Amino acid sequence: MTRSQLALASCLALVAGPLGLAAGTPAGTAIQNTAQVTYTVGGSQVTTPSNSNTITVAERLDVNVTLQSPPVSVQSGDTRRELAVRVTNTGNGNESFSLAMTSAIAGDNFDPIPSSPAIYFDTDASGDLSPADTAYVAGSNDPLLAPDAFVTILIVNDIPAGLANGNIGRSRLTAQSKTGTGAPGTVFTGQGSGGVDAIVGSSGGTSNATGEYVVSDVSVSNVKSATVQDPFGGSEPVPGARITYQIVVSASGTGSAANAQVDDAIPANTTYVPASLRLNGVALSDATDVDAGEFIAGAAPAIRVHLGNLTGAAGNQTIVFQVTIN
Amino acid sequence: MTISKGWLVALVLAAVAGPASAADPGCIVVQNIAELEQTVTDAKGVKSVKLVPAVKVVPGDTVIYTVKFRNRCDKPADNVSVDNPVPEHMAYVAGSAVGPNTEITFSIDSGYTFAKPEALRKKDSDGTERAARANEYTNIRWVMRHPLAAGAEGYARFRAVLE
Repeated sequence: MTRSQLALASCLALVAGPLGLAAGTPAGTAIQNTAQVTYTVGGSQVTTPSNSNTITVAERLDVNVTLQSPPVSVQSGDTRRELAVRVTNTGNGNESFSLAMTSAIAGDNFDPIPSSPAIYFDTDASGDLSPADTAYVAGSNDPLLAPDAFVTILIVNDIPAGLANGNIGRSRLTAQSKTGTGAPGTVFTGQGSGGVDAIVGSSGGTSNATGEYVVSDVSVSNVKSATVQDPFGGSEPVPGARITYQIVVSASGTGSAANAQVDDAIPANTTYVPASLRLNGVALSDATDVDAGEFIAGAAPAIRVHLGNLTGAAGNQTIVFQVTIN
Repeated sequence: MTISKGWLVALVLAAVAGPASAADPGCIVVQNIAELEQTVTDAKGVKSVKLVPAVKVVPGDTVIYTVKFRNRCDKPADNVSVDNPVPEHMAYVAGSAVGPNTEITFSIDSGYTFAKPEALRKKDSDGTERAARANEYTNIRWVMRHPLAAGAEGYARFRAVLE
């Protein structure tokens, strides 16, 4: 990192780890050592100091990029879908990193189409792409990170049309030390922070992370309603009244929602009516057994219904259960 | 720093303990060297290790500190001892201190007291006592078991890892 590079970079991550952490002793630190020898000659004791050795710690160039997003469900034709990665300076000197993304990766089912711009800083730390996020412009706002500091980056792609359910597309973000990359041990004389030497560390000065989009052409919705019946033939929600809850779950699209499961908590101040659980009109036992539902007793009572791999073709799934007001 | 091929002459006579004597202008010359091990693989794939001056050091490197000393007088020197602090930001490598004909002890209190490793105890924050770890050693002392004869040499060496 020369002075002119420091002046150009505009984004310094000030959140640095405490000295002595993962990145190690900071580049530029001078470590001194002086020994002494004591002896007696002719009855007199003498102490002689040695010469002083000074070692100046060089900068180790290291970076680590980690994926922050699990696989993202998308639909054919989606635009501007983001994946989040974290770029951490694992070296021991302030360092600028250049970023590049590619979505043309072999081994997946489709190539996501990089949006324009395709790389953003997660400026508002929301974890997703939002209007406040700043676009990355190579050479203009390359992130400058202190040792152990990190920055969250979003890579943004469009999803091609006409994909099949389950298709996977991958996209990759690569970060490189601007001082240099190469075989570990490669020396960039005088180009480290503060003018010390920079030496490529075990990462080679470069790192990348690859995220996935999964085409999942299904969406699931549920609609919940309640009716109240009091002991006097009316519908006042008084103690002793019975509430019947109905949840209608439906899937749409061409895919399937695997292992769909509905959990609904028994509201506070009510008590579940035993054996009231039904799915599509068929009674389900309260016990956890081979049928599709159960009542979970305990500190957080709830009903649970297993809907299996739910597709749009299965139609509406209607769940009913009852509670009484305490 | 440059390391000259010959012995460096002791520059300063600092008679810290006991009466200074004008009759002994430095019988023992001392040289302190910091080196790195470099593994070199030759054309046949045979690896050999050589020592090079420690100039470019990054966290994780192991530095070898060697204090060489020689008695240049015509009288023997008695009670020769070498003290070397473990430098800041460095951790002593357990078992690495060596020196011919020396008794080696360590300090964990910046040089006030020295003892063998098994006698060095530390208290944890909850009060439990345990053996001090090598990376907690602050100083090392080598004491020669017999006088250093006129013209004789010795050395005191240890390794430390840059944190």
